[in-house]
Amino acid sequence: MAGAGLRQSQKAATRQRVLAAARDLFADQGYDAATIRQIAQRAGVSVGSVFTSFASKGQILSEVMQQRLDGLYAELDGVIPHLRGSTADRVRSMFAIHFAFEIRHVQLFLAHIASAYDWTLASGALPFGRNLRLQGLLTDCLSTGVSTGDVDPATDLQGVVDLLMAAYAWTYRLAAWEQASAEAMTAVMDQQIGLIFAGLRPR
Amino acid sequence: MKHVSPTEVTGEARVKGPTRRALAKQQTRNKVIAAARQLFSENGYEGATIRDIAAAAGMSTGAVFANFSDKSDLFREIMFSDFSKLVAEMREAAGRARGIEDALLKIFSTGYAFYRTEMPLARAAFSVSWAPQEGELFRKIAPLAETQQLIFEQLNLAVERGELGQEAEVKLRAQMLYEAYLANYPQAIFEGWSLEALQARSRDQIRILLAGARRG
Repeated sequence: MAGAGLRQSQKAATRQRVLAAARDLFADQGYDAATIRQIAQRAGVSVGSVFTSFASKGQILSEVMQQRLDGLYAELDGVIPHLRGSTADRVRSMFAIHFAFEIRHVQLFLAHIASAYDWTLASGALPFGRNLRLQGLLTDCLSTGVSTGDVDPATDLQGVVDLLMAAYAWTYRLAAWEQASAEAMTAVMDQQIGLIFAGLRPR
Repeated sequence: MKHVSPTEVTGEARVKGPTRRALAKQQTRNKVIAAARQLFSENGYEGATIRDIAAAAGMSTGAVFANFSDKSDLFREIMFSDFSKLVAEMREAAGRARGIEDALLKIFSTGYAFYRTEMPLARAAFSVSWAPQEGELFRKIAPLAETQQLIFEQLNLAVERGELGQEAEVKLRAQMLYEAYLANYPQAIFEGWSLEALQARSRDQIRILLAGARRG
């Protein structure tokens, strides 16, 4: 039993070392250029043991991003109760916080979006676009909007969440292709949120 | 038996020679494209190699490279031909529609139906479209931009008919409708949504995105 427990904790330690090494390498030279061999070297483990913990580089990225997002959501949990204004304004603030956080790692987030369609991604990994925490926050915010009379109760909330997520992913074009700032992305997103909420008014 | 003069034979040969070569070249290209289509569907864009594609087509990698400059070129050729067909079908469907909501729903549904049996290829296309270098070339595939243009035209027609208000923000709305159209593909790719489920979700989304522009 003790042996199994030790093996478990060694395995967990290896995972963490690999994730930390990957995070640094991705930041230094980008996702595409970083190889599994380099990640293993930096983590001080063999290539084989990287593959015992992770199915692919795509999966490593997915978990690196997940850890980053843990920090973002810890921040958001503290901020959300203090958000004021209409439902649309509160949704705007939530996305503005995301953009301000993500703009620092745009290339990684783009790689993350692309990897959502990667064949090698293990089914347990959560790629971008299936970010359930953000979707949960949006659903809560919309439900509150229904109860405060901001949002038509007949609305299919998941459909609206999908529209918001679509606009969110798409806004990344600006960062990727036009090197837009977080402010520019937020301005474009604000417009789109306004258009969506104009269609949600109770009639 | 019909008599054929020697001059007619040479005349014919002069016309037929290049045609036959062009035909053979086209057949080779078609064979490569068919093999590539299959492998991109099975292994994704990253997973399919030119070597595998050549083997599946029963030719050397050299023969593949004689026809396509690289894998990205080959992939874009497949996408170009698919999108050209698709956008023509969408245009035709929109022409049969009654009203803007119906037109948009027909455009969306035509896309989902087109890819219903080819979701793995759609998945590969999404993957490529977000890749840093290949993505830029991918987004320049002409008929791809035409889909958004078609939505834009339909909205403008609806404004002209008085179905939507003059201040309908057509450009932003067209872009958002296009985003919504694309964003439903992952539901089909990852969650196995049926055509009916995609249509129901699209109808709700189209209604929301049009609501602010409706008259009265």
